[in-house]
Amino acid sequence: MWLDEADGFAEIFKGYLPYYLLVALPIFIIMSPVNPVAASHEFSVYRMQQYDLHTVPHGCRSASFNLEGRSLTSWSTSRHCVVARIQDITIEQFLEIRSKAGALLLVLPQNSTLLTPEEKEHIQLLEMAMTQQELNAPVYFAKWTPEFEDILRDLQHSFITDDRSGTALEAMMNTVSSNGYQIVVSASAPQKLDSKPVTLHGKLVGRSGSGQTIVIVAHYDSSGLVPELSLGADSNASGAVAVLELARVFSRLYGAAATRAAPDLLFVLTSAGHHLNYFAAKKWLEEQLDSTDASLLQDVSFVMCLDSLASSPSMTMHVSKPPKPEGAAHSFKSRLGVPINHKKINLADELLAWQHERFSIRRMTAFTLSSLQSHKSPGRSTVLDVWSEQSARLAADNIAAIARALASHIYNLTDEINHEDRQMYDEVLSVDEASVKHWFNYLSSQPRAAQIITTTAPNAGVTGALERALSRYMDVTVSVHAVDKREPEYTLYSPTSAVLYVYSVKPAVFDLILTLAIVAYLTVVYFAIQVFPRFYDEYAKIFTGKAKVQ
Amino acid sequence: MTLYHFGNCLALVYAPYHMAYKYSGISEYATFSKCVYAGGLYIFTQLCKMLLLATFFPDSDSSHITGEYNVVLELLKATVDLADLVGLYFALNSVPGKGHAKIFTAAIGWASAEVVVTRSVLLWVGARGSEFDWRYVRACAESNVALLEHAATAALVWLWTRSDLPRKHSPMVVTLLALTPYRALMEEAVGAVLHLSAWALLAVRAIHAFAVGLTALAMYAVLAQQIGI
Repeated sequence: MWLDEADGFAEIFKGYLPYYLLVALPIFIIMSPVNPVAASHEFSVYRMQQYDLHTVPHGCRSASFNLEGRSLTSWSTSRHCVVARIQDITIEQFLEIRSKAGALLLVLPQNSTLLTPEEKEHIQLLEMAMTQQELNAPVYFAKWTPEFEDILRDLQHSFITDDRSGTALEAMMNTVSSNGYQIVVSASAPQKLDSKPVTLHGKLVGRSGSGQTIVIVAHYDSSGLVPELSLGADSNASGAVAVLELARVFSRLYGAAATRAAPDLLFVLTSAGHHLNYFAAKKWLEEQLDSTDASLLQDVSFVMCLDSLASSPSMTMHVSKPPKPEGAAHSFKSRLGVPINHKKINLADELLAWQHERFSIRRMTAFTLSSLQSHKSPGRSTVLDVWSEQSARLAADNIAAIARALASHIYNLTDEINHEDRQMYDEVLSVDEASVKHWFNYLSSQPRAAQIITTTAPNAGVTGALERALSRYMDVTVSVHAVDKREPEYTLYSPTSAVLYVYSVKPAVFDLILTLAIVAYLTVVYFAIQVFPRFYDEYAKIFTGKAKVQ
Repeated sequence: MTLYHFGNCLALVYAPYHMAYKYSGISEYATFSKCVYAGGLYIFTQLCKMLLLATFFPDSDSSHITGEYNVVLELLKATVDLADLVGLYFALNSVPGKGHAKIFTAAIGWASAEVVVTRSVLLWVGARGSEFDWRYVRACAESNVALLEHAATAALVWLWTRSDLPRKHSPMVVTLLALTPYRALMEEAVGAVLHLSAWALLAVRAIHAFAVGLTALAMYAVLAQQIGI
């Protein structure tokens, strides 16, 4: 039987097996997958924006890293990835991290509506500081999750320090008891995106047919620190919703010959908004004005740009040249009853202040209506700009005010209209609040950063939805613009999001300590086996009463 | 974590088995093949148990999801582990030699097979990954306790097979043997009642194994003295 022969067989095994193992084991290890275990934590993270504006680099320039996670207080070198809540990091700390740390991972607030005004202001200031200069270290943002809270707590209370422990024993105990985290993002290197911004425009033809044109413009993209998280409710979902709603209201009036007013109304929705210097508006204007049949913008009464209508009930009219007292813009302004904020165009600035400046440069009367007081307001590009019930209501109220003022201007109504007329206008001009809220909600639930909307097809995504909505009221023309190949006005970069893996690890010293512990344990076991016969003798004596007879 | 960590774990598992084999004196009997035979019996026994469990017991995964803990079902499942005793009995029978050599050979073969079958893949996949978890170190320490447990069980089975076992000992042996399959359940119950951590539970297991082992050793000593080995 084979078992009887197996003793010789076993000898072979005992004699040669260790040497075979010496060869086989390394081969086995090399052949097996590099990372056989999945990380215990996986998170979706969103990369900070990266773009060039006229070849000037902005944002974060790299994407992947594999570094040890540290808290704000314990990081020291470029081998560390700083993990912090966005509320906790100060601007000074950020500046230090920008120059020295390996990577930065910021966790967004759990519920941004519960932040105090001071915290909101702090976050907005931090965002401004982050956008000012380019960063070489990868910067990622993550939404709050309970797991992240645990990791943050662990990192804050972790005692892994390089040289701050008291005694050697203390340091040893710390390495055994504390958790370290290795944070890995493996994303592709930043690549240029093929960006094709789109402009949608549609016209309601007035009674005279060749009368003046009133242009109503809004950009529908958002700009924020993090493309995937820039929902831009106020800036500028509210403006885009206003254009849609005004188109709806006036298409009803212009539908019947009896109620049609004299001027043409031109509704324009542009992408590539304020942080890309209103590129789409510029290109669209060039196409319309410089082409041979420049009929669309031949006789413009005024251009009304709508931007950020949802942050306060009062609006401001931003102009680059004060409107003439007898002009159409002044008439509209007095009907709307808003203060004027005059700011001259500064072509030396990197960015234009408001969208109307694009039109003012082309010698059109133009102004921007906004509920923001200044173009420098940090609210125009923050991750905190999200949908809320209150902002939806403010947007609806402001749109209603604009609709009424515009109607009053184009029908040249005076204040002396009787009560009956007023009621009729109320009925006709009433803003459909449900539709406004619906669109506002939809637009502010979609990330609309230029990195996303200008890289999808014009008939898909947000652009497609807006085009279909606008084409219910009028014929819509879609113009796709291209960035100059040799001297790009701007360049956008991918990736915008990535998967973050967090591994809990121990410092290398820990393995050595573990080895020592195991060796100590095995020594104890060895001696226990050695003394076992003597122990057995003594033990047996207790039960049998006499010494074992050998 | 690293290959080094894997080496640590492997040392913790392998060295006690090796020392037990080397220094218990059974290597003099050239019984390596008998160890392998005992290991083969272990695997065969587990296959039989799996067949039984798969045939007669409901799907355990579904109860896992609902989170219900069916005590009777768990007890019945543990009863199937009586087959281990039968397996050990055959292993003991196949080993020639004196009592302690029989016991150690069967126990080491049996426990080694268990380690290879249940722990090697876990260690290979887990301890070598980038993620650190105390679980793997604990699993290694547990396999040391398991060696002790199996030695105690093998001793009890051997005692039970002896016709010259002192009469006053036989109820004790039978009781301990009958309780063997439910040991893991009892330990878990103690852990759940006292809310013990995983390491404390391991300590409970070790103490339990020591207690059973010492009891078996005492009875072995009496019998050995009586028959003069």
